[in-house]
Parts: sequence; structure tokens; C-alpha cells
Amino acid sequence: MAPSNPAGDVKSADLDLVGRIRSGDGAAFETLYRQHATRLYNLASRMTGAHGEADDLLQDIFLLAYRKLGSFRGESSLGTWLYRLAMNHCLDVLRNRQTRMGHQTDSLDEPDAAPVASPVPVLGAVSRIDLERAIDSLPPACRAAFLLHDVEGFGHQEVGTMLGISEGTSKSQVHKARMRIRSYLAHGGKKLES
Amino acid sequence: MMNCEDLNEALVDLVDGRLDGAGQRTVERHLEGCGNCRALVEDLRSIRAAAFMLDRREPKAETWSKVRAAIAAEPAPRGRLLDMGRGRRGVNWPVWLGAAAALILATVIGLLPLMNRPQPAHDDTAQGAGGDPAPEVTVESVTAEFEAAEKHYQKAIDDLQTIANKDTGELDPQVAAVLQKNLTVIDQAITESRAALRSQPSSANAQSGLFDALRSKVAVLQQTVELINEMRKGNQAEAGRRAQTLAQ
Repeated sequence: MAPSNPAGDVKSADLDLVGRIRSGDGAAFETLYRQHATRLYNLASRMTGAHGEADDLLQDIFLLAYRKLGSFRGESSLGTWLYRLAMNHCLDVLRNRQTRMGHQTDSLDEPDAAPVASPVPVLGAVSRIDLERAIDSLPPACRAAFLLHDVEGFGHQEVGTMLGISEGTSKSQVHKARMRIRSYLAHGGKKLES
Repeated sequence: MMNCEDLNEALVDLVDGRLDGAGQRTVERHLEGCGNCRALVEDLRSIRAAAFMLDRREPKAETWSKVRAAIAAEPAPRGRLLDMGRGRRGVNWPVWLGAAAALILATVIGLLPLMNRPQPAHDDTAQGAGGDPAPEVTVESVTAEFEAAEKHYQKAIDDLQTIANKDTGELDPQVAAVLQKNLTVIDQAITESRAALRSQPSSANAQSGLFDALRSKVAVLQQTVELINEMRKGNQAEAGRRAQTLAQ
């Protein structure tokens, strides 16, 4: 049993939706927006840390998606394609911001946080606010993998496709993010030294 | 004998609940004798659980209007799609798998409103997506949300059952039976937690019990979705491992 396209129905739905959008069906693009807007809004907001500008980011992402929909051929799901486009846009926003501020973009080789050795858990109940701050403190590459996997619930293979990395790299980035968050929270939210 | 370095390599799969039975037992033996690793695993699980429970905020209603106005000024996108018939010809996987994944996801999404208690929006005006003030959280509102989610959940399960019944031969009966048994136990815990919450609406323990039970349900459903994804990909070895984990 080796299915070439077991998700046939889902893919057909994607292709049908894209076909309708290309034929000028405005309601079809609204369907796409309604399906993904909330998740993309939260993802873009957390990815860029620009919480007050998340609506503008979302607008940019969907306008970009509309313009680039001609390049969608149905080789991946429409959702995967859209998230990849959104993540690339967010990373561009971060790069532009860092360039303006004279900072360098982090690389995938950035060292891990110093491990916290303790015979008892150093975290109690993790508060939402502390976790949001810890996520903001992550380098972009592992923040992206953490948000897609742990917050949005995508599998590592999907995360890899969305970020243009391998499944194994997705796992290591998510692990790095969790370890950094633990260090950040264990040290009371102080900036991590790599 | 596993050491701390070995555990480090298995940490992601361990925290994600993706280790197979043998791997899980090896890790547990190490954890029994290593306080540092035990603490680390507990902390990483707390982080993962907290991440899953983060708030989900809604974009402003006017954002869609702006998008619509912007695309109205754009030419319609053009391009070539894959032949829609091509993918179907190779499909010999039961149709219900895709639908099952969608239904389970719908169920998880249906439960999320319960688990993500309403929070103020990010903007300074502390208003919701449509500009209305955030609704007050009361026992009644939480109960109403629960009941809505419960209906949503029940419908998804009913639909799933109907679809699955058409292709029962494709589903490993042992996995299906254990899954059903686990879900029954969790459902019972949810029912008991609801009863406890009704009798003590302000009890933190009762609230925590309900959310723990819901979290368990979501975890089982997530594992099921992951199993289905592996089956969809035709990755039988990984699907087998996940089925084994799910059946434990």
C-alpha cells in the first residue's frame, strides 16, 4: 500500500479553490482568508514581535498570496504553500528591521543556551505572559520552528517544508527553542547569553 | 544502559510523545535514576503544554475589507495547476483517512475556545476584533462554550464513526479498540470533571481537572492525526510505531 496522493480529497479542494480564485470568484479568496487568517495573524504577530502591526502584516501576506497565486501548482497543500509564503514574509520583515537597526540576522548555527542543571523542575506553571516574552527572545530560525510546531501544531515534515529545512533540522530547532525558553524562564526572563 | 547524552537525542520525540514502546521504557528507566533529566523532561513538557494553550487572537474585522479592496485593484492571478485527475488515479488509500484527519482537526479546533480563555486584544484599546469590548468571562459563558464545543465534538465523532465504518477493514482493529477504550476513559473523566465543576463552579481544582481531561483528549486526538499523516505519506514504519504508541 503506497499511496501517491492519499490526501486526494483535500488536494482537490485546494485546486478547486485556487481555480475559482483565478476565474475571478471573489468569494473563493474570502474562503481562503477565513480558513487561514486567524492562525496566520497569531503566527505573524509572534514571529515578528510586532503585535500592534499584526493586522497590517496579515493584509500584506494575503495581498502577496493573491499576487503569487499564479505560482501555486498544487504540488503541496495550499495551506503549506501559504504558511511558507507567510514565514518568508515575516523573516523578510525581521531582516529589514535588523538591517535598519544595524543587527545581524542569526544563523542556524547559533550556539545553544547554557543548559540548566537541576534535580527538580525549575519551572512551575508557565504563565502565558512569560512564555510570550520568552518566545520574543528566541532567534528567528528556532522561533519559527517552535511557533509552527509547538504553538500551531504542525508536524516536523510540514514545518520543514514551510521553512525550507529538513525534518531533522526542524526537530533540532524546536529542541533548541525549548531549551532556550527553559533557560530564559529559569533565569527570570533575563536575556540569554549564548 | 542509557546515559544523559543519549536521552538528549531522544528528548524531542519523548516530549512530543513519539517514542515507541521500547524507547519509552528505556527512557523511563533512565529517568527513574536521574533527577536532572527528570526535571528537564518535566520542564520541557510544561513548556510544550503552555505553548499549545497560548491565546489565539482574532484579526480585526476591517482587515478583510482592506484585503478585499487591495485585491480588487489587482489583476486575477494566472498560472497552471496540476492535473486534478492525476493525483486521484494513484490513490488506493481509504478515502476516510483524509476526512478523518479533517474531522479530528475540526474537533481539536472546536475544543480550543474552551482551552484558550478570552484575553484582551493586543492593541491599546483592549478591544476585540470587531471593536467590541472583550466579553466578560463567567461560569455561564464558560459552560456555554463547553456545551457548544461538546456538540461540535460529538458531531465530528459521529461523522468520523460513520465514515470509518465504511472501511473498517483498513483500520487495525486492535489499534481502533484501544483508541476507543482510551477515549472512553477520557470521556468519563471529562464527564466527572464537568459534574465537579457544576457543584463547585469557583473551585480551582475542579477547573484544573476539567482542563486536564480536555488536554488529554486533545493529546490523543493529536497523536491520531499524526498517525494518519504518516499513513497518508505511506510511511508504514513510522505509522506502525505511532500506532503502537497510540495503542499503549
